[in-house]
Amino acid sequence: MVGMNELQDRVALVTGASRGLGRAIAIAFAREGARLALCARDWSRLEATAEVCRELGADVLTVRADVASATDRERLVTLALDHFGRVDVLVNNASTLGPTPLPLLADTDPEAFEEVVRVNLTAPFLLARDLVGGMLLRGSGLIVNVSSDAAVNGYPGWGAYSAAKAGVDGLTRVWAAELAGFGVTVVSVDPGDMDTEMHRAALPDDDPALLARPEDVAEAFVRLARGVDAPPRVEARDLLGVAG
Amino acid sequence: MIGTALPTLPRSLRASRPAARRGVRRDHVRLLVVDRSAGRILHTRFDRLPELLGPGDLLVVNTSRVLPAAVAAVRASGDPVQLRPCVRRGREWDALAVQVAPPHANVPLEPGETLHVGEAALRVRGRRPDIPLLWRLELDSPADLELILRHGEPIRYSYVPEPVPLAAYQPVYASHPGSAESPSAGLPFSWELLRSVRERGADLADLVLHTGLSSYQDDDFDLEHHLYEEFFDLGEAAAAAVNRAGRVIAVGTTVVRALETAAGEDGRVRPASGWTRLQIGPASRLRVVDALLTGMHEPEASHFDLLRAFLPEPLLDRAYREAIAADYLWHEFGDAALIL
Repeated sequence: MVGMNELQDRVALVTGASRGLGRAIAIAFAREGARLALCARDWSRLEATAEVCRELGADVLTVRADVASATDRERLVTLALDHFGRVDVLVNNASTLGPTPLPLLADTDPEAFEEVVRVNLTAPFLLARDLVGGMLLRGSGLIVNVSSDAAVNGYPGWGAYSAAKAGVDGLTRVWAAELAGFGVTVVSVDPGDMDTEMHRAALPDDDPALLARPEDVAEAFVRLARGVDAPPRVEARDLLGVAG
Repeated sequence: MIGTALPTLPRSLRASRPAARRGVRRDHVRLLVVDRSAGRILHTRFDRLPELLGPGDLLVVNTSRVLPAAVAAVRASGDPVQLRPCVRRGREWDALAVQVAPPHANVPLEPGETLHVGEAALRVRGRRPDIPLLWRLELDSPADLELILRHGEPIRYSYVPEPVPLAAYQPVYASHPGSAESPSAGLPFSWELLRSVRERGADLADLVLHTGLSSYQDDDFDLEHHLYEEFFDLGEAAAAAVNRAGRVIAVGTTVVRALETAAGEDGRVRPASGWTRLQIGPASRLRVVDALLTGMHEPEASHFDLLRAFLPEPLLDRAYREAIAADYLWHEFGDAALIL
């Protein structure tokens, strides 16, 4: 039976937890009893997420951090490991679209492209690299990279984002292959179209009523954390269809 | 005695950069093997370590993670000073206070003086009675780790002229923040190599010992080997693995210190956590550790003194001379030695 507190005392680090899917994942994990290290750039909104999690009884550490910054990442990882002693689940959720309205590739500034790659691709690699050591020694761990259907489709205007998310899927496949048999699972999750600020910034004309709620999609991440089997790339709706 | 008899380490053999920055894979550094029973010294490469291991062997690693422990502070006078905290107990630090610029000579603080690290204030309570070069400081903030992370950089000695990112000081498995300096014996390990070790039937266990400082920035004082306490933690699973093992190979002198602290007269270790002041030298009888994988350290270093617990003086002397003659690189980014 699936009950409450299935993630009791598991330590999860969620990036980009101030809003959208990251906030929803943090709250869903808190409801299941997880202990949380949360980071985002927006301190007041991050604290607001943390407050909700604390009201649910979670032990929450908040770190104001830009995952694209090496010193911020070092602070994030060190403070999380110091506070909790370990990280069992890493959710690489923080993501950026780059400038909006989304420019065509031919109009994309090189600096903007590189920033998107730093946040969406390089940071997930480096955070996983920093935390996988402890997971390998313990012989258990889960790394979830938030992907997108833009990783596999060529939507005009989504060039930098699409390239970075395709990179994330590649990264996930190789991590998964290299870590197979060592107790550490690595999965890319395509959450699908959700009603988030990021979605509204990219596609302001979409009807929110037709979009999934982040709170519902977050349940897919809870199922992964509970140990539901998944291939290296999976869509959230497929996970939600799995009895978990 | 031995320190004066041995040849001085040539400056050219001091590794000034991490292996990767010299164009060498971390696990491709050289490995000098001292086989005590045969009285032989062999030369190989670190990634061939698994060939020397087999079932029953247990590698014990230190998972302590290095902090940027050279912390920028400002004195009451407005002068900058660098603090190197080596013993941290919440809001209380025991720290070296040195000049910001090389050669980082010691700076005498004033008892009662207030220092600032960023916005935080630290009151100087006085010198530590047993080790007077260390200052006892009291913080006005509980966020001592945050202070170090925001205002610190890795401690770097004169043989490393260019700044090196903190990540280069971390072994691949580093996961418990707290060391002032790198537990560098583990630096040459890659996960690929650790996987090979397991494929050979050898096992891996881990403990934590947060390292202090390897130098007080005072040559005479350093020679006296003043030792202060270091925090260690040996968990149940690791203790059981050590007690099961046929041969316990410590990766680094920090692991020797932790395991021997946790060892009983019966030669078995028990799970333990706390502060150790155990000093290991030529007269020490090792109860648990059978072999040592270590970096190359100068004869003056206290590390070297610990090697005497493993090696008779003539063999240590031979190994040191042979390593110099064969151009092994020394210090934390250098080559490695295995004493079997």
